Amino acid sequence: MKGVWEFSGHLMQKELQTDISRLLDEARQFARQGKREKAYQSSLKATSVAPDVPLAWYLRAQTAPSPEEQLMCLSRAYSLNPAFPEAKNELRTAVQALLKQEPFLAYVQETEEFYQVRSGLDLLINIPKNRTFEKPYLQRAPGPAKPAFRWLSISLLALFLGGVGAVLLAPFTAFQVLRLQAASPSRGDRTRLWIVFILSVIIWLAAIPIGWLLLIRFYPG
Amino acid sequence: MLLRALYLSAIWFALSLFATLIMGSRLRRSDTTLSLLWLAGMILVGNLIALLTFGRILEIFGLALTAFVFGLFWIARFRDWNAAGQVTWTMTLMTTGLFIIYTFLLTAFSPLNPLSFIFALLFFFLEAITLLLALAHMHESLDVVCRMRWHRLLDKLEPVPDYQPMVSLQVPAYNEPVEVVQKTLNSLAGLNYQNYEVLVVDNNTPLEETWRPLEEICRKLGPNFHCLHLDKWPGYKSGALNFAVTQTDPRAEIIGIIDSDYQVDPDFLRELVPAFADPQVAFVQTPQDYSDFKGDIFSESTYRGYKYFFEVSMPSRNERNAIIFAGTMGLIRKSVLEEIGGWDEWCITEDAEASLRILKLGYQSLYINRPFGSGLMPFNFEGLKKQRFRWCFGGIQILKKHWEALMPWAHWVDPDNKLTLAQRYYYLVGGLGWFSDVFNLLFALFLVLGAVFSIFSSPVQIRPLTNTILVIPTVFLSLHILRFLWVLRNRLRVSLGMAAATMYNFFSLGWAVTLACIQGLVQREGVFLRTPKSKTSSRTWHAIHVTKWETAISLVCILTGLLAFGANQNWRTFSLCVLLIWQGSLYFAAPIYSLLSLGREAALGAHVTEQGKPVMEQRAARWVVAASMLLMAAFSLITFLPSPTELPGYARFLPVDVSPTGLAGRERESASPPTATITVESANCRARPRGNARVVTILYSRQQVEIVGRNADLINPWWHVKIPNRSGRCWLWGMTARMTGNVEEIPVIE
Repeated sequence: MKGVWEFSGHLMQKELQTDISRLLDEARQFARQGKREKAYQSSLKATSVAPDVPLAWYLRAQTAPSPEEQLMCLSRAYSLNPAFPEAKNELRTAVQALLKQEPFLAYVQETEEFYQVRSGLDLLINIPKNRTFEKPYLQRAPGPAKPAFRWLSISLLALFLGGVGAVLLAPFTAFQVLRLQAASPSRGDRTRLWIVFILSVIIWLAAIPIGWLLLIRFYPG
Repeated sequence: MLLRALYLSAIWFALSLFATLIMGSRLRRSDTTLSLLWLAGMILVGNLIALLTFGRILEIFGLALTAFVFGLFWIARFRDWNAAGQVTWTMTLMTTGLFIIYTFLLTAFSPLNPLSFIFALLFFFLEAITLLLALAHMHESLDVVCRMRWHRLLDKLEPVPDYQPMVSLQVPAYNEPVEVVQKTLNSLAGLNYQNYEVLVVDNNTPLEETWRPLEEICRKLGPNFHCLHLDKWPGYKSGALNFAVTQTDPRAEIIGIIDSDYQVDPDFLRELVPAFADPQVAFVQTPQDYSDFKGDIFSESTYRGYKYFFEVSMPSRNERNAIIFAGTMGLIRKSVLEEIGGWDEWCITEDAEASLRILKLGYQSLYINRPFGSGLMPFNFEGLKKQRFRWCFGGIQILKKHWEALMPWAHWVDPDNKLTLAQRYYYLVGGLGWFSDVFNLLFALFLVLGAVFSIFSSPVQIRPLTNTILVIPTVFLSLHILRFLWVLRNRLRVSLGMAAATMYNFFSLGWAVTLACIQGLVQREGVFLRTPKSKTSSRTWHAIHVTKWETAISLVCILTGLLAFGANQNWRTFSLCVLLIWQGSLYFAAPIYSLLSLGREAALGAHVTEQGKPVMEQRAARWVVAASMLLMAAFSLITFLPSPTELPGYARFLPVDVSPTGLAGRERESASPPTATITVESANCRARPRGNARVVTILYSRQQVEIVGRNADLINPWWHVKIPNRSGRCWLWGMTARMTGNVEEIPVIE
C-alpha cells in the first residue's frame, strides 16, 4: 500500500513539475511576443501552483502591472534564491525607484544575506546585503583557549597582588593548557594555547621572587 | 651606584629635552656625525654637572659609556630624526628604565608589613605602566617635531589622468536641524567632480517634520542626490551606514562619509580620489576641521585639542601605515568595506574599528594633511564631555575586540593577520592611552591618602617617601608637561597661553575618560553618558552642576594637600601639597571650562551622538567613590598588621637615598654637625656595624641623630650616632637614614 502511495506521489510530483515548466515556458514566450497580459497570467498561475520556485516570481515581476507588485515578486524571488543575479540586480533598481517615491523604510528583520524592511507603502521587501558576513562580536562563541586565558588573567592578577597566588596558579594554568591542547581542533588555537603556556611559565618565574619578597615580610627576622 | 646613575641620567634627560625645546624644531638636518656630536656633547655637559656635584669619575665614565652606546643604537634606529630627537629619546628611555628599576628595588626591600608590600607592589605596577605610556607620548611628540624625512606624508596628490571612478558620499543624520544638513548638502552639490552621488541616510529621527524636508532638499539638488529614512533601525549610525551601502550605485567604487554638519571644500573628491588609483589603498583620511572656534578660550582650546590628533598623532601613525579612519572627511574603497563585512554595529566608533580590520588584511591607508571642510564642535562643555566619553568608550571596545590581534604573537595565532609591528603598537598604545586618565585619578587617590595619613600622623605607609621618590617623579612630570606644551606650540602654532589652555582642556576631560574606560570594560554593549540633570533653569548653575564630580575631586585634592602641609610643615608635605594642587587643578579645569562655554551656548553647535543605553554619571561616579572608600579601608587595615620592629635583613638591598642638597654638593659648605634622619618606620641601632650585632636601641621614622663616626665603606655605610635623650652611642645602618652634612668630615672608626 505504501509503495502505491509513493508511486502516485511521485507521479503527481512529476506532473506538477511538467505543469510548472509549461507555465514558465508559456510566460517566457508570451513575454517575448510582447503579450504582457498573457505572460503575466501564466506566471501568476506558476507562482500560485509553485510558490517556492524563484524563477516563477522573477517572470511574474517582469510583467507585473504595478511597481509595487514587481517589487514584491523580485523580493520573493531573491529571498528564495539569494544567488539569483538577475533578481538581485532588478530588485536594487526597483527599490531605488520606490525610494524616489517614498524614502521611508522600517526595519523588520535581517539575515546574513538580506534585510527585510517594510516600505512607506506597506510593502515587505528583502534587500540584499552584498557583502561578506562577519559574525557580530557579542554572538561569537568563546574559543577553546578561553578557560586557559581566564586562568592566565587570574595568575597575572595574583602576580600583581604579591606573587604567592601566582606561584600556585601559573602551574595550574599550564596544566589547563596541556589539558585543552588535546581537544583543540585548529592550529590557531593550539598556537594560542602554547603562548598561554609560555606566558604562564614567565608569570611563574616572576612570581617566585615576588612571592618570596612577600613571604619574608611575615618572618622579618 | 643606581641612584647616582638615575640622577645623572635625569640630568642628561633634562639637558637634552631643554635643548630639544629650544632647538628641536630648528635643527633641520638629519646627519649621523651631528647626532654623535650632539650625544657626546649632552653626555659631557651632564658629566660636568655630575663631577661638580656628586662626582665619582669612574662611575661617571662607565655611565657615560653606557649612555653613548645606548644612544648609538637609537641614532641608528631613528635615522629620519634630527640629533635633538634621537638624544632626547635615548635619555628619556634610559631615565625611565632606571627609575623603574629604582622603584622596584625600593618596593621590594623597604621594611614594610605584608599588606603594605602588596599595595606598594600594585603602586609600582601602576607607576611602571604610566611611565611606559608617557614614553609612548614622548615618542609620538619627537616623531613629528624632530622628524626630518617624511616618507608617506602628503598634502596633495598627483592627479591621475582619466581616472574618475564613481564615488558615493553618504551623509548619516539623526535628529539634525534641517538648516545644518541643507548647508552640508549645498556644499556637496558644488563639488568639482563629475562622477558622484550623495545618499542622505536619516536613521530613527522620531519626528517626521524633522526628516521629511531632507527629501525635498535632495529632490531639488538633482538626480544624484538621494534621501532615505530608516525607521526603528538597529545598529545606530553604523547600522544605517551598512544599509546605505546596499543602496549605493553599483558603479560606485569609493564611499565617502560626511557628517551632516560639515561644509565640504569643492576640491575634496578631485584631490583625494587619485589615491585610489593604487589598488592597495583602501582608505584615505583628511583632518577634521571646525569653523566655529574663534571668540572664547573654551572654543579655541577645544579646537586646538582636536587639531592635536590630526597634527601630531595622525602624521606619526601615517608614517607606519597605521592611521585610523576617522569617519567624516574620509574615503574608503567600497569593495574593501564589503570584504570586511561592513561597519561593526556593536562598536560605537565603527570607523576606527573598520580601519583596523582593513589594515589586518594588509591594505594601505593614506593620510593627506590638508583639511577639505569644516564642521561644528559641541556647543558646550557638557557636549564635549559626552563626545569624549563616546570616543574613549569606542576605543576600549576596539581593544576588547581586537586585543589579541595586537599582541606580539598575533602572526603565529592568525597567519592571515597582516598587521605590522608598528601598526599593532600604534593601535595598542592608542587604546591603552585612554587609561592614562584612570591612572591619573588613582595617583590622585594615593596622594590624597598620603595626605590624610600625614594629617593624622598615622604610621601607615606603602612606600618610604625617599628624596628620590619626591624629586624624580616631579622632574618627570615637569619635563613631560614642558614637552606637551612644546608640541602644542610647535605643531599648532599657538601662543604659550593657548597651549596651556589646550593642555588643561585635555585634562579637564579626565573624569569623563575615566568613567568611559571603566564602563568600556564592564559594559557589553554601547552606552552613552548622561550627565546629571539640574532642577534650576539657571544656565550658570547647570554649567557647574554638570561638572560637580570633577569639582568635588579637585576640592578634595587641594584641601587635603593644604591641610597636610599646614599640619606638618616640612619639604616633604610641601611637595605632597604641590602635587595635590597640581592634580586638583586638572579636575578644576572642568567647571572653569564649563562656565567658559556658557558664552558659546547661544551659538549653533554640533549634535553629540547618543547611542546605546544611557550611563548615569551619578551612578557611575558613586561606584568610583565606593571603590575609593574600599581602597581607603583596605589601606587602614595596614595599621592592624604589625610592622617590622627591627630592621629586617633584606633591607640591606635598599638603594641608598641621597638628598637633593647632597647631590648638589651644597652640604660640603654646611657648618653644622652631620646628622642622620631615619627614613624607615623603625631602625635598629646596633652595638657594632653589622646586621647581626646586638640591638642597643630602636630609632623611629623622622628621628634625627648626630653622627660622630662612620665605617670605611661608603657604598654600604654605617653611622656611629649619639643615642638621643640618653647617653651612649650605637651603629645605624646608612640605608635606613638620610645623611646631612659632609661625609668626608666624619671620622672613620675602625
